[in-house]
Amino acid sequence: MVQSTGVKKKFNKQFFLNNGLYVVMLALIAVIAFISPKFLSLVVLRDILMQSSTRIIVALGCMFILIAAGADLSGGRMVGFAAVVSGSLAQASTYSNPFFVNHADLPILVPVLVSVVVGLIIGMMNGYIVAKLDVPAFIATLGTSMFIYGLNSLYFNLPPNNSQPLGGYQKAFTELGAGSIAGIPFITLIALGCMVFVFILLNKTCLGKEIYAVGGNEEAAKFSGINIFKIQMFVYSMAGVLYALAGVLEAARTGSATSNYGAGYELDAIASCIVGGCSITGGVGTVQGVFVGVLIFNVISYGLTFIGVSSYWQNVVKGIIIVAAVAIDVRKYRTKS
Amino acid sequence: MKKLLSLSLALLLAFTMTACGDASASEEAGKAGAEEQLVAGMVWYNFGDTFITATRNAVSDAAEGGNIKIDAADSQVDISTQTNNINNLLTKDVDFLTINNINPAGAPEYIAKAKEKDIPVIFVNCDSPSDEDLNSYDKAFHISSAAEQSGYIQGDLASQYWNENPAADRNGNGKMDYIMLVGMQGNYDSKMRTEKSVERVIENGIEVNLIQEALCNWQRAEAQNQVASIIAARRDDIDVIFANNDDMALGAIEALKASGFFADEDSYIPVLGVDATKVGVEAIKEGTLMGSSLNNPVILGSTVYKMIELLSEGKEITTETLGRTVSEDGNHIWLDYVQITAENTEDAEY
Repeated sequence: MVQSTGVKKKFNKQFFLNNGLYVVMLALIAVIAFISPKFLSLVVLRDILMQSSTRIIVALGCMFILIAAGADLSGGRMVGFAAVVSGSLAQASTYSNPFFVNHADLPILVPVLVSVVVGLIIGMMNGYIVAKLDVPAFIATLGTSMFIYGLNSLYFNLPPNNSQPLGGYQKAFTELGAGSIAGIPFITLIALGCMVFVFILLNKTCLGKEIYAVGGNEEAAKFSGINIFKIQMFVYSMAGVLYALAGVLEAARTGSATSNYGAGYELDAIASCIVGGCSITGGVGTVQGVFVGVLIFNVISYGLTFIGVSSYWQNVVKGIIIVAAVAIDVRKYRTKS
Repeated sequence: MKKLLSLSLALLLAFTMTACGDASASEEAGKAGAEEQLVAGMVWYNFGDTFITATRNAVSDAAEGGNIKIDAADSQVDISTQTNNINNLLTKDVDFLTINNINPAGAPEYIAKAKEKDIPVIFVNCDSPSDEDLNSYDKAFHISSAAEQSGYIQGDLASQYWNENPAADRNGNGKMDYIMLVGMQGNYDSKMRTEKSVERVIENGIEVNLIQEALCNWQRAEAQNQVASIIAARRDDIDVIFANNDDMALGAIEALKASGFFADEDSYIPVLGVDATKVGVEAIKEGTLMGSSLNNPVILGSTVYKMIELLSEGKEITTETLGRTVSEDGNHIWLDYVQITAENTEDAEY
């Protein structure tokens, strides 16, 4: 008898620890909905998913790096660079303040692809600096983030634009960011597509298992014949591509772009990943966890604005959630062992 | 394949490194070849800021025809970086110092340092040092747009719309219910625009009610997110949206559009910005953004350069010599904001 209640208690505690993230999020939603019942509506769900979409893509990129026990501070600036590059190429030829004078309407695949290739190149650069030149990832990506921001500012300041916010996109491009099909925003579908792709890559392919292995124990992975250089190059390149895609969608969603776009997104992404269960020391991380991690932050900022809480308090709450979520997470592994 | 990859990456890196090398080398050469040339050290709060970049461009354009070299430094929105920049420039023995100051409390110290070096110091587009501090040194100046004007322009435009359109009171409570999109906490422009816009509406005899103040860090995406949330919560209460700059105003407009506003005349909500950026002016022409105001960076940049030039020639800075209104005590130069609405979008060209 006594033993079984003990087991039950332990089970409850274990359940809470294992699902702490979901409990926290549901509690948040419950509190907000209690204050303002209108919060439980489709419009709100749609808004939150839409606002989370670009953030999810950035966080997925960041997750690759974290699983492989790396670090990446260049994500935010990469989003900004991709936003400006794609924005400059997506303008309608009829717009009165074009970035490129006398250009034709380019098919919107062009801005998307060019930005993604730029992201790929910079990602490969990150990977090369970390894997071949042995620069600590933290420093390497801090360096590239400044480098990218500088390049972006130079590009953005080219005459005749002279650092004016970009605008006047082709309809197809803004539609990519603001349009929807059957009530589901395109960008949410794209984010969903990215999640499925990353999930399969990490869980159903050899490459995915190798990434986890490298992050879990690099020495052991090396001895079991995994090419560490290849894995590092891959994760940073993949991250670069995802950041760039997020940047393109951010430009499309807001209908503009400046060199300041994406500032701080890298830290938000790292926070979302950690709250979503990725380990700072590598080897651990799931797509669904990261999804919930991103969602929690967006529920906080959207929900607190919704019930009229000041912006300053939002940061206080976000800070507490980060610390609390990680504290619960650490205990999860402790009780298991 | 792998070798090719490493090679191309190495090349890319080498290229970027030489690119950096070249830039610094030419800078060195420029310095060495211009020993007797006068140098103006300029500290800006953030190179990434649209307005600051435009101002810097205007300064360099003016400097191209002149004989004073510009040495510009980026404070990256950080007070301690600003302090380092100022100290570095003073150590380099610049002949003039301009500060786009983000640390009002440091102004007396900066003036004292400039006085010690006996070089002119100009505070550019920021909160003014106190008159006592400015008067403590005859080569200390302050040039800025009158920040409160941008707020007053918003307040007047909102009042005008309110008085001309009975339907402007969307929930019929007799008060102007407004959202305030704030740029940056503690920023002088942000503070003035936030306070003065509403002050003016009240002065015009209209009752106001703040729905929500949202801090959006001058960012379009941030404003878009927050306004979407406020619309979802209090859709029928919003009468007016004030934004401290055009980027945030346009973010608000995106959110409004997404939830069905601006579809026809009945779904119009007045949104007001500041800066009259090109995209902002486009939105005014399109009929979404109701109004903005322009602090012309070209006028600011060229006037700053003109001041330096006058000082280098040993001339006094007066309304006559400068061509701009100089205050009676000779150390304040106030530049006017220009109101931009659908009626005068051509005034936003610079």
